[in-house]
Amino acid sequence: MSPMKETVTEFERNARVVLTASLTRIDARTRSRLNRARQTALEAAAARRARPWWRGLALMPAAGAVAAALLVSVLLWHRQPSAVELPLLEGHNASVEDVDLLADGEALDLMEGWDGPFYEWAAAQTDANAESDG
Amino acid sequence: MPAALHGDVDLTDPEAKIQSRALNQFLAGVELKAFKIAQAALRNEDDALDAVQDAMLQLARAYADRPEPEWKPLFYRILENRIRDMQRRRTVRGRVIAWLPFRGEDDEDDPDPISQAPSPEPQPVRRLELDEAVGALEKALGGLPRRQQQAFLLRTLEGLDVAETAAAMGCSEGSVKTHYFRAVQSLRAQLGDLYV
Repeated sequence: MSPMKETVTEFERNARVVLTASLTRIDARTRSRLNRARQTALEAAAARRARPWWRGLALMPAAGAVAAALLVSVLLWHRQPSAVELPLLEGHNASVEDVDLLADGEALDLMEGWDGPFYEWAAAQTDANAESDG
Repeated sequence: MPAALHGDVDLTDPEAKIQSRALNQFLAGVELKAFKIAQAALRNEDDALDAVQDAMLQLARAYADRPEPEWKPLFYRILENRIRDMQRRRTVRGRVIAWLPFRGEDDEDDPDPISQAPSPEPQPVRRLELDEAVGALEKALGGLPRRQQQAFLLRTLEGLDVAETAAAMGCSEGSVKTHYFRAVQSLRAQLGDLYV
C-alpha cells in the first residue's frame, strides 16, 4: 500500500513533488557511478546464483572439525569422575595416572612413599565386607 | 563452452535471466532515491555513493533469492545500516582529527552540489521555483533528527507504507508514525509559506 493512497495533506503532496524533482537534478557523473554500482551488484548476484551446489561442500571440513571437537568435549565431560567415586587402582588406568604424575613434580615425590599393596588390600577388604553385608 | 557467458554466469539460463532482469529493474528504480536518502543523512556525495553501492552489493549477494516484494525493505534496511556505520566512523574520525594540531579546513560548509546542479527542466521560472523549494526542503530535512528524516524520506520520496518503513528502519509501526508525524510538523513549521 502506498502512502499516497492514504490521506495525505497538501504539504506532503508538495513535498513529494519537490523531492521527486530533486532527483532529476542529480548530475550525470553520479548517475553513471550509480549505474556502475548496479552492474557490479548484478554480476555479484549472478555469480552467486551460478555457484555450483558442491561448492557448499567446501565448508564440510570445517563443519566436521567442529562436530569432532564437540564430540570429544562430550566424551571428556562424561568421563570425568564424580566426587564420590573411589580412586582407581587397577592397572588398566595406570597409564593415564602415570602421565598425570609425571607432569606433576610434587605428586612424584609423594609416590616415593607409596604403599600400593596395602591400599589394594584395604579396598579388597571393603568390597568383601560390602558383599557379606549385602 | 557456451557463447553467452558473463563472468561465472551462464546467461542462457532463463531463470537466471529473469532474476537478473528483475534485480536490475529494482535497483534502477531505487538507486536515485537511495542516493538522495543517503546524501541527506551523510551530507557527502562520495560517502552516499559508497553507501548505496554497498547496499546494492549486499542485497545482490545475500538476498537476491528472496521474493521480490521483500527487496525494498531489505535494501533500505541495509542502506540504513551502512549509513549508521559511516556516521559512527565519521564521529570517531572527527574526534581523532580534533586532537591533531594541524588540520585543513573542513569542507562541510561547502554548498550542496545537488542544489547547484544544472536542471533539465524546460521552463526557467518553474525551474527556479523548484530549485528554491528543493534547496529549502533539503536544508530543513538536514536539520531534522536522523530517524525523523529517514521516516519522512522513506515514506514521502520512496513511497513505502508504514509496515515497510518499519521493516526498513528496524522499529515498530508506531515509532514510524511518530517519527513521520513529527517530521511533517517540523518541516511544515519551517516551510509553511512555501508548501501550504
